[in-house]
Amino acid sequence: MPCVFSASLDPARFDALAGILAGRFCTDMLLSSPGYAGESRSFIGLEPSAELLIEKATRPGRIKEFAFGPGGPVMGFLSYTYGLGLRSVESGKQTRFPHGHLKKYRAILKYDAAGETLEFFGEELLCSQAIQLVESIENFSELPPEVRLPRSEPRVSLDRAGYEAGVAETLERIRDGWTYQLNLSTRFTWSCPDLDSLSLFLGLRRRFPAPFYGYVRSGPYRVLSTSPERFLKVEDGRVLSQPIKGTARVGQDEKESYRKLVDSPKEGAELSMIVDLIRNDISAHCEYGSVRVERHKSVFRVDDLLQMYADVRGDLRADRDCIDLLLDAFPGGSVTGCPKQSSMRIIEELEPHTRDIFCGSLLVIEDERTMDSSVAIRTAVYDQERGLLDYWAGSGIVIASDPHAEYLETMAKAGKFLQGGTA
Amino acid sequence: MNILLIDNNDSFTRNLEHLLVGAVGKACVRIESYANLENLSLEGHDFVVVSPGPGAAEDYPGYGRVFDSGLPVLGVCLGMQLLNAHFGGTTGRLPGCVHGQAEEIEFHGERVTVARYHSLYCTHVGRALRVTARNDQGVPMALEHESRPLLGYQFHPESFLTLEGERFVHHALRFFGLA
Repeated sequence: MPCVFSASLDPARFDALAGILAGRFCTDMLLSSPGYAGESRSFIGLEPSAELLIEKATRPGRIKEFAFGPGGPVMGFLSYTYGLGLRSVESGKQTRFPHGHLKKYRAILKYDAAGETLEFFGEELLCSQAIQLVESIENFSELPPEVRLPRSEPRVSLDRAGYEAGVAETLERIRDGWTYQLNLSTRFTWSCPDLDSLSLFLGLRRRFPAPFYGYVRSGPYRVLSTSPERFLKVEDGRVLSQPIKGTARVGQDEKESYRKLVDSPKEGAELSMIVDLIRNDISAHCEYGSVRVERHKSVFRVDDLLQMYADVRGDLRADRDCIDLLLDAFPGGSVTGCPKQSSMRIIEELEPHTRDIFCGSLLVIEDERTMDSSVAIRTAVYDQERGLLDYWAGSGIVIASDPHAEYLETMAKAGKFLQGGTA
Repeated sequence: MNILLIDNNDSFTRNLEHLLVGAVGKACVRIESYANLENLSLEGHDFVVVSPGPGAAEDYPGYGRVFDSGLPVLGVCLGMQLLNAHFGGTTGRLPGCVHGQAEEIEFHGERVTVARYHSLYCTHVGRALRVTARNDQGVPMALEHESRPLLGYQFHPESFLTLEGERFVHHALRFFGLA
């Protein structure tokens, strides 16, 4: 018998509830934080009831069949690797990480932090257990233990010299016209066999709020996403993408840092290119004349960084659904570069690692015309079997890029993980 | 109006499609990939648009039949460089190349704001082509054929940074005798 209930809950108690549910049930979580331009509703899925493991050969039709069949909403992720196939980019690199993983659940909890409202849909037994937890939540004051990464240096796929050489090579490809902007990343790997990845995730969320946190289980892997960036939201057919380009550290004078970011021709060009790319990528499935750019060069602060973004909007065509939109625009332009296919080919050549979940998307699909998704940056994967935590960071290279400055930007984005969560 | 838009694996092709439909009204835009150029039927179209794309003109052989078809052709960015190469012009690296930036240029007696995305530029202009717009540094921004309906824009009218994108489609239609 399906059960539905709703309650009022403030954000701090909701976070405590999320931690408790994750400790007691098998959960996947997509958690937003209030007050951001990309703020979203939070979703917690309890006890998976069906799943679709996406492989290279999985056709879009199969994904639709799963997502739009009975028993939603669907939560999960799509890897960058799946995007290589969608964009016909060959890769000789081997990876064990899934191309994607989507799940349905025996119960789903939705939380709206702005209205402080909680809704629960699902099986009766789970429902009554959850109601009890919500009612007793005021008694749970204990926080999960602080978890830090090992102090040991991580292995990196591209060290400083390697990264700067990659930037220099990218600049040559730009001068030859093969790319205008390319996102180059490096991968950090820590050996930490006994890591409590859930506590690390919950601790990061408490100390570094961001609009697109996600904790998703997939076989031996745990995805820990702390992303600030929305990829695509579809709300009753209204499409919104919020690409981020342009990053600045918050200096002594935040207003001055803000002004320097917004006035920088280099950072402005980076964002404009990706805005044109996102306009293109949503246009295939949006009504003619509906695609528009709003709030170009807006800025918000996250992780002690200022991030510049724009709103790109459109209206989904009546005969298309959100998976048509998602798969034609995937992976997000802000993490590939532009033109997309050519830049992705060069990335394959210059990066020695696989991106796996990095630069893919965490997503929730409610129906044919309702979806939200992040760009999986500031995201780690813990492999429980091998005791390895992978984290990636990168930056957008344009003709005005200085190799060393781009390396520093990349390290700044890695800050909250590199410094053991103490950044 | 039936428009054929040939896509050189670029990421702005659908922006061009939306611009064309908005500017022309009642337009039917058919997008075909460059990969199918060899077997592509040009018949039944009022004009052809050759899209921007990565790389240089020499990386895209086979456009001769498009430029010699007698159909009006508008080339954008790489599309203009392809048109130039067809008539013997050359392309080279643009010193201080520019991407994702808006700039004012002189266009048929007016100052207009256009978006530029290019690493390469027309270093030598081909036979029977004339430069009808340059930027303030003298870089060719528009080419027209002296006697045939062939037109090229180095800038990107489909970018949101180009303030009045549709005017450049209207200009092309007038030049082609289709307006």
